[in-house]
Amino acid sequence: MSEYSFTRRSVLASGATALGLSVAGCSGGGGGSGPTVGVLEDRSGNFQLNGTSKWQATRLALEEINENGGLLDEEIEIVDPDPQSDNSRYQELTERLILQDQVDALWAGYSSATREAIRPIINENEQLYFYTTQYEGGVCDNTIFPVGATARQQLGIVTPYLADEFGDDIYIIAADYNFGQLSGDWVNVLAQENDYNIVGEEYIPLDETDFSSVINRIQNEDPDFIMSMLVGANHENFYDQRATNDITDIPIGTSTTLAQGHEHIRYDPPALANVYAGVSYMEELGDLRDGEDFVADFYDRWPDANYLNQEAQNNYFSVYLWAEAVEEAGTFDQQEVISVLEEGRDISAPSGDLTLDGATHHMEHEMRVGICDGNHEISFDGQERIGPSFLREEVEGGDGCDLREQDSTTQYVPSDVYDV
Amino acid sequence: MIEATLFAIVVYDIAALFFQFLNSFGFIILATVGLAIIFGMMGVINLAHGEFILIGVYGTALAYHAGIPLPAAMAVGVVVTTVFGVVIERTIVRHFYDRLLDSMVATWGLALVISQLLLIVFGSSLDSIGTPLGSVSYGPFSSSIYRSVLLPAIAILVLAGLYVLFTRTEFGIKARATIEDPETARAMGIDTDRMYVATFAIGSALAGLTGALYAPALGSITPNRGGTFLVEAFVAVVVGGPSVIIGTLSASGVLSLFNAGGSFFFGTFTGQMLLLLVAIVALRVLPDGITGYVDDWRQRRREG
Amino acid sequence: MSDAADTVSRIRGRLEGPNTYGNSRAFWVGFAVLVTALAAYPQMTDPYTVIQTARYFAVAFLALSLCFIWGYAGVLSFGQVAFFGVAAYTFGAIGINLSSATGVTVAIVGAVAVGTLAAALLGYFMFYGGVRDTYVTIMTLVVALVLNTFMAQTAGSEWAIGEAQLGGFNGMTGIPNLTLGIGETGIVFERAGLYYALLVSLVVAYLGLRVLLNSSFGMTMVAIREDEARTETFGYDVPFVKLVVFTIGGAIAAVGGVFYASWGNYVDPSVFGIAFAALPVVWVSVGGRESLLGAIGATLAIEQMRTALSSGIGPIGSEWALVIVGGLLLSVILFMPAGVVPTLDSLVDSVQDRRSDQGQSTQPTEEAVE
Repeated sequence: MSEYSFTRRSVLASGATALGLSVAGCSGGGGGSGPTVGVLEDRSGNFQLNGTSKWQATRLALEEINENGGLLDEEIEIVDPDPQSDNSRYQELTERLILQDQVDALWAGYSSATREAIRPIINENEQLYFYTTQYEGGVCDNTIFPVGATARQQLGIVTPYLADEFGDDIYIIAADYNFGQLSGDWVNVLAQENDYNIVGEEYIPLDETDFSSVINRIQNEDPDFIMSMLVGANHENFYDQRATNDITDIPIGTSTTLAQGHEHIRYDPPALANVYAGVSYMEELGDLRDGEDFVADFYDRWPDANYLNQEAQNNYFSVYLWAEAVEEAGTFDQQEVISVLEEGRDISAPSGDLTLDGATHHMEHEMRVGICDGNHEISFDGQERIGPSFLREEVEGGDGCDLREQDSTTQYVPSDVYDV
Repeated sequence: MIEATLFAIVVYDIAALFFQFLNSFGFIILATVGLAIIFGMMGVINLAHGEFILIGVYGTALAYHAGIPLPAAMAVGVVVTTVFGVVIERTIVRHFYDRLLDSMVATWGLALVISQLLLIVFGSSLDSIGTPLGSVSYGPFSSSIYRSVLLPAIAILVLAGLYVLFTRTEFGIKARATIEDPETARAMGIDTDRMYVATFAIGSALAGLTGALYAPALGSITPNRGGTFLVEAFVAVVVGGPSVIIGTLSASGVLSLFNAGGSFFFGTFTGQMLLLLVAIVALRVLPDGITGYVDDWRQRRREG
Repeated sequence: MSDAADTVSRIRGRLEGPNTYGNSRAFWVGFAVLVTALAAYPQMTDPYTVIQTARYFAVAFLALSLCFIWGYAGVLSFGQVAFFGVAAYTFGAIGINLSSATGVTVAIVGAVAVGTLAAALLGYFMFYGGVRDTYVTIMTLVVALVLNTFMAQTAGSEWAIGEAQLGGFNGMTGIPNLTLGIGETGIVFERAGLYYALLVSLVVAYLGLRVLLNSSFGMTMVAIREDEARTETFGYDVPFVKLVVFTIGGAIAAVGGVFYASWGNYVDPSVFGIAFAALPVVWVSVGGRESLLGAIGATLAIEQMRTALSSGIGPIGSEWALVIVGGLLLSVILFMPAGVVPTLDSLVDSVQDRRSDQGQSTQPTEEAVE
């Protein structure tokens, strides 16, 4: 394990020159003004449970690269203050990382609210930015690479799986904000396409912890399965109350539970029994690459870590995705790296062989259903490769979002295409 | 036949609503009572109240995960919080007895320190504890026995116990005398310093009890769960008004009625909004809280 | 010559009085030096620091507004952020719909007007309804929380004002930069421009409040703070005075909200949240309830520190940031109950008293008011 003296380096750098740090990478890097990567992941506040794992995996990947001789023969400097789950702090730190530390690439943020808070700053400075959380989808933005699985990818694998297995009557519960509402819209889209029947649909404020009325309503409708897009520590209480009220026999499909908050580890059985998560990765999947062991490496580096979550794997492989693009471009220049990425790239990730879709900046993921049984053991089923079809084929009247051809800083939503 | 079925459905619905009301009622009383004692008797606004409760949660959960049975683990949670409260009273809070508003800033700082220290020491989360006792089923519905029956019952018992303590025991009378008029109390030989510590200790113990009781009903145990309790507690304290016990009881009743009713008929968002809106209206109509109004009314009747 | 001196002393007469700290010539020289230094600052530092400082200036309006109503009229509002946030959203809503230079100018006026009106309504509701003391504090907090809960669920496309999506928890995006102008031509205040606009507004607001506080209205405010019942028996319309004070406070907070929204081109419901709502109370308590300049200074210092700590300092990791912030707050309140500026002021006073009793330009210090 190597230690970095990046505080000293950055002092040297800012002492040497305030301008042209990112240009310096081209000239072969003299005077301590090497490549810099910004990592803003929450290690305290509301989202620390998910953010910490993302931060750890990003550092792991960058440190591995440095140990193997760095990138373009230069050591990567890491700047990683803690944004404390606070969006206005994110805005400040993003300004700082771009203007002061002049980062060559940025990994930042857990919630989509955070992404939206810093997006104006990203756009203004045309900063190369990797957003790695699984999310509602639809971001079509020049310099942003949302490499996490989208709602269409996750719900698209798990909803039909459950309908085939258990029946067509679906009860939707989701967090009452953009991500939850758009995820709910996607379940509605899938229901229209496949003739499922939505028997109930409700959206729950993020700070709600009492689910007794929700559970009574679910009992009243008696659905074949529940689709749950609940978010955050407060909402987890639903699973505990579900066990107390003995409704664990109603299966739950989800895009948010298990793979992020590792509820199956933190809760006693049977709270998460019969929960089916549409995931691209979970720690239990291990490492599908030959001769590599991501999970062991992760815990070697971070012995106190709680869990290696789905988003952390996204951080990990996207660092390598960026590094490979830098090698190919032969420069850290952001526009040139983006051009290389937009050619589309295959990457070998712990979750399988994935492909970056150059036009949409999204990933073709290997999706699978993670199944939690009565003892909270995880198994996987129904693996399928799903691409970013919504952005590639459906938006703009079927023309799709093609960032190689067009300038764009928008986010499409299901109602742009579907009647929901 | 159809009428009988309809009747059964209505009964089940009413039962479901009633259990939801009890659930919310118990929660608001327990979240409020520790804060109400400290605010009502000592005039200190403890913005770290949520974190005090959280210490009770952590104490209980850590003891439980160490293999101690749940009831004993809960006792550990209460003791830990009480000791913590006494330490905080001696080192910090005693400087703020006549400085209501400063106490808010100081305890806000304290809240930040506590929750971050919990994060540093115990990591991002503790394994949660399943809710005991299962559920009672009726018609299509079921309700948690622990949350909707046991906790509200304990809440009422706590209030009754406090009533006895503060009206029927020598300690209670001395404590109230100290709070009403410290000078005179001292002149009469009461050790006012000790009364303050004792009252703050009771407030902390009650916060610890709330934490202990909710440790198995909270779901995730993370260092930022303190906020779960704070808003309801504050709203109930001011709506209740100056009389601690009757105030807590009546405010919890009114607020949980609207909260449960709103959630039952329109969904959880409406329940939350109603709780807050009712508080605003109540404060406007009854500027001294419910018990302030009752006192006022009694006085006028006596005079009239 | 003497005309000019007259004018200066007349202006100083309006600005000075027992209600404000800093009534000496030395203070005004220092103030002028400070403002000049702040004006020169963007030329000497990097763009990031300029942008950052502009943000601190924007939130300093919150401190100024709370200091005014709490420190001088004794009304502690825990919900000044409500008017700040309402103005920020209004600015966004109008600005996005009327995107021309005139449109944004209209948005500025409209946003401040709506924020002020909101404060006036709430003030009327409270002060004419007999809501007092702690109850005002909690009620204002609850109002902010209602807005927080409500705005957080406005995610759907049905929640829009014209072109402007409210955006729910994710917030409102695409808010225009601050612009003054007519038609399509106007001055856009961005980065250093925004910094200067904020600096000028802050100085104007500060001096304006000083004039107001040292007028007879200010005296009435202080009288109400000291003894509400007695002021009432002297024939003052206490609810009306409180309402006016609260409305002015709301207007100042609203100005800050407009700047804040245009700073990040973004606003989200967390501006109404309890964590953000607590900050103005902290800034003002630390700076000194009765010192407008202290409140602004404390805002800048505390925010600077909070951001800096998030990267950790030296061997102390970033995880200790919140512990240090909380601990510092505790100590300041514990050891300097009146806040930093009043404590320093009385320290300076006692040193001066000991050194000489020339008492030339200083007014008799009124301990009672402090």
